Amino acid sequence: MLIYMSRRLLWTPVLMFVAGLFVFWLASCTPGDPAELMAGQRADPEAIERIRDRLGLNDPFMVQYTRYIADALKGDFGESYRYRGRDVLELLGPKLRVSLELNIVSYVVTLAIGLPLGFWTAMRQGTWKDPTTTTFMLLVYAMPVFFTAPFLILVFASWLDWIPVSGWSGMFSTQAILPAFTLGVPGAFVFMRFMRASTLDVLGQEYVRTAHGKGMGQMTVNRRHIARNALLPIITILGFSLAGLFGGSLVVELIYGIPGVSRLLLEAVFQRDYPVIMGMTLLGATMLAIANMVADIMYSVIDPRIRLRA
Amino acid sequence: MVRNLLIAGVVLTTVFAIACASPEAPTATPMPATSTPIPPTVALQPTATSEPTEEPSSVAPTATAIAEATAEAKAQATASAEETATAMQQAAEEEEEEIDFDPRRGGVFRLLGSDPTTLDPALTTDSTSYDIVLEIFGGLMRLTDDPNEPIVLDLAESFTVSSDGTVYRFVLREGIEFSDGSPVTASDFKWSWERAALPDTGSPIVKEFLGDIVGINDIVDGNATSADGITVIDDQTLEVKIDRPKPYFIAKLTYPVTFVVNQENIETGGELWTDNPIGTGPFVLKSYEIGVSLVLERNEKYWDTQAYLDEVQFNLAGGSAMAMYENDELDITGIPTSAYERVTDPNEPISREVVDVPPAFVTSYIGFNVEEPPFDDVHFRRALNHAVNKELIAEAVLQNRVRPAYGPIPPGFIGFNPDLEPLGFDVEKAVEELNMSKYADPDSRPRIVLTAPGTGGSPPTWLQAVADMWARNLGVEIEFQEVEWATFLEEVDNYRLQAFRLAWSPDYPDPHTFVDVLFRSDSTINQTQYSNAEVDALLDEATTEPDPAKRIQLYQQAEQIIVDEASWLPMWWGAEGKILVKSHVNDFRLPPLGGYFFKDVWLDKEVDF
Repeated sequence: MLIYMSRRLLWTPVLMFVAGLFVFWLASCTPGDPAELMAGQRADPEAIERIRDRLGLNDPFMVQYTRYIADALKGDFGESYRYRGRDVLELLGPKLRVSLELNIVSYVVTLAIGLPLGFWTAMRQGTWKDPTTTTFMLLVYAMPVFFTAPFLILVFASWLDWIPVSGWSGMFSTQAILPAFTLGVPGAFVFMRFMRASTLDVLGQEYVRTAHGKGMGQMTVNRRHIARNALLPIITILGFSLAGLFGGSLVVELIYGIPGVSRLLLEAVFQRDYPVIMGMTLLGATMLAIANMVADIMYSVIDPRIRLRA
Repeated sequence: MVRNLLIAGVVLTTVFAIACASPEAPTATPMPATSTPIPPTVALQPTATSEPTEEPSSVAPTATAIAEATAEAKAQATASAEETATAMQQAAEEEEEEIDFDPRRGGVFRLLGSDPTTLDPALTTDSTSYDIVLEIFGGLMRLTDDPNEPIVLDLAESFTVSSDGTVYRFVLREGIEFSDGSPVTASDFKWSWERAALPDTGSPIVKEFLGDIVGINDIVDGNATSADGITVIDDQTLEVKIDRPKPYFIAKLTYPVTFVVNQENIETGGELWTDNPIGTGPFVLKSYEIGVSLVLERNEKYWDTQAYLDEVQFNLAGGSAMAMYENDELDITGIPTSAYERVTDPNEPISREVVDVPPAFVTSYIGFNVEEPPFDDVHFRRALNHAVNKELIAEAVLQNRVRPAYGPIPPGFIGFNPDLEPLGFDVEKAVEELNMSKYADPDSRPRIVLTAPGTGGSPPTWLQAVADMWARNLGVEIEFQEVEWATFLEEVDNYRLQAFRLAWSPDYPDPHTFVDVLFRSDSTINQTQYSNAEVDALLDEATTEPDPAKRIQLYQQAEQIIVDEASWLPMWWGAEGKILVKSHVNDFRLPPLGGYFFKDVWLDKEVDF
């Protein structure tokens, strides 16, 4: 297991290098000049040229990239263009924490709703409850965030006045409730469908009939034999969906005024703040790698039949 | 600077970009520099008013404003010399009482904002930074929102100008201090200006604003470290020599790059000195967390009447502005289009909180690159001008939220010419001009692409209306292209766009900031590449003309030629808007030249019932 983990981790820098090269190349192809943006509309061309020189933007592409990677390996991700003098990691750190928190609570909401509901509908297959629930969840899933978010704000913040409209003070504060539901509930549909399918799959298995035949109580069979086995395939999609959640939080962050990383990144793209974009790419790639690894490990923990081979 | 670009300027971007962002999501994310071109839509739609605007001539052009400013300065010089000393003492004695008894003092003002690009006055070029820098720092002169007296003395108590107009002698107020309590002296100004010019500082605009001073350009070019043109006579007296007599020089001293900064602050603070900036403005920076909040608190060392507010809190994280406002999380906000009808409905209680914003000085236009066919033909450009019925578009498409523009200088601004002869709507003339041009035959016309900055996908309705009028009245078909700000800036700076939509707002109250910088042949931001020897000569003469009335005349003459030669199709002046202001807020103003003037704002305190 340890060997497996270290192998996986060793691959991470390679992944980072490739992902970084790609983004760096894309950035160099994009029209728009960070120096020009920094200088503003009235700056004279000389001033823009001075800024380009200072940022090293006049060097050839490979020189720039090699320099960047060399620094990055030393843990120096450079300084933001837009926030002059501000270290990229220092800039990303707090934002990343907020986004992580937001995504974790949303994820908890997703799982807490999706899995039991999937199980529940599977057990009620053939009754009206199954299609009704599924249809309802499909509706929720299909609703765009920029509709649900203002709607929830209207109901819970403006009319009922239970919760503040905006801001972020940690994942355990009341401010986290609306964003967590906005972001988490639609995803629950996907997990519900997976869970339902996989539960139905398990229901038809011999060992379930055997368990019933042995006279086990329904609850015990449900818990020990059905749910546990049905969860297995779910683990696989966990890793991916965790990475996917990150992308989805942008609109939520914007509407609820949450100082997360998405907004910083969006701004960085418009401002051609390459160090920030690169820093986020590399961190993102790393997180994806780690999330996948965690999913693999969880898989082996839940299903003893699976062994991780280095 | 970029604030120039901002269409509804300063005002609307910072405060309101977010307001509009809420339902429509990412496009309108507040991004000071980048989002600036978007505001045409942003500004016009959400903060719109349906009231017809006044006739342009309503505000008298303050032709002699500079002269007045100077005269006033001189008058003050004599009057206030001895007065100041006693007044200062009195003020000091009264200060404590004032703190206790002024019922206006205290309170926190909350609004949405966006991250400033910088808080370094030398680097400030965008409106978001400008608005905050103006609160923290100060210089010799400052702006007001009084059209009759746009510039007043700030840290300078008086100034005199030599008879040849090239030597300015400033006398600083007595006893002025930085926010950390250290005294402000004439050498601080010398240091600040020379520092702004150093290549390491990297100010993109220092040449534009301080380059008139003898020796500054040598510093920018790395050939010197001090400027001969700046002489410290004594702690309170600063002498500045400029290269030629330029009456608008004094107006430039209201722009941040000329503000005084604290040497120790910068030398010990390194590149991040602006985390703890020390200035002379009415507020100091209390805290700043990127993307979260920026808090200003009262500067107790401010030389003039101190701010009433304890704090100004900018929420930088954004959110649904209307919902936050109605939930009492904000004291002011712009009005998103979606809420406009409800908010302005007189039956709704909230309609009592709707406040009119005076029009900002901004001119929105379609620029023609005069080097690119078919715009290299003046007749063709004139035809396009005559073919557009702006009045109709303003009324039918924009519900009179803007007023049609006929030239670069907006009404109310110094040098505005109510008698300017526009290229008004006249289909016959338009066709006549088209037939005179070498592009009369549609087959001879190259493909025409009009580029607008933005991320919306489709051009604004008014722009479509313009294209429709060209097509119908002249048979001239065009294509639209919308590109995001970064790309737009690069393209327009490199003259790669044939025709483009842009707007300009002034940096300082002088026609120079409109006519000269946009239309002089060798100006670096003459994006239409317009060039006319006669205009250049007039502008040159105006630059050094000492008689204010005569100067204005020269600018107006140049403006008339520029309008006749149609390198622009001027579209709109300003945008009258509405915002929501909580009823407990008093004296909140949005000056047409930018800034907030928070120091005058005061709040009604809670009353026990």
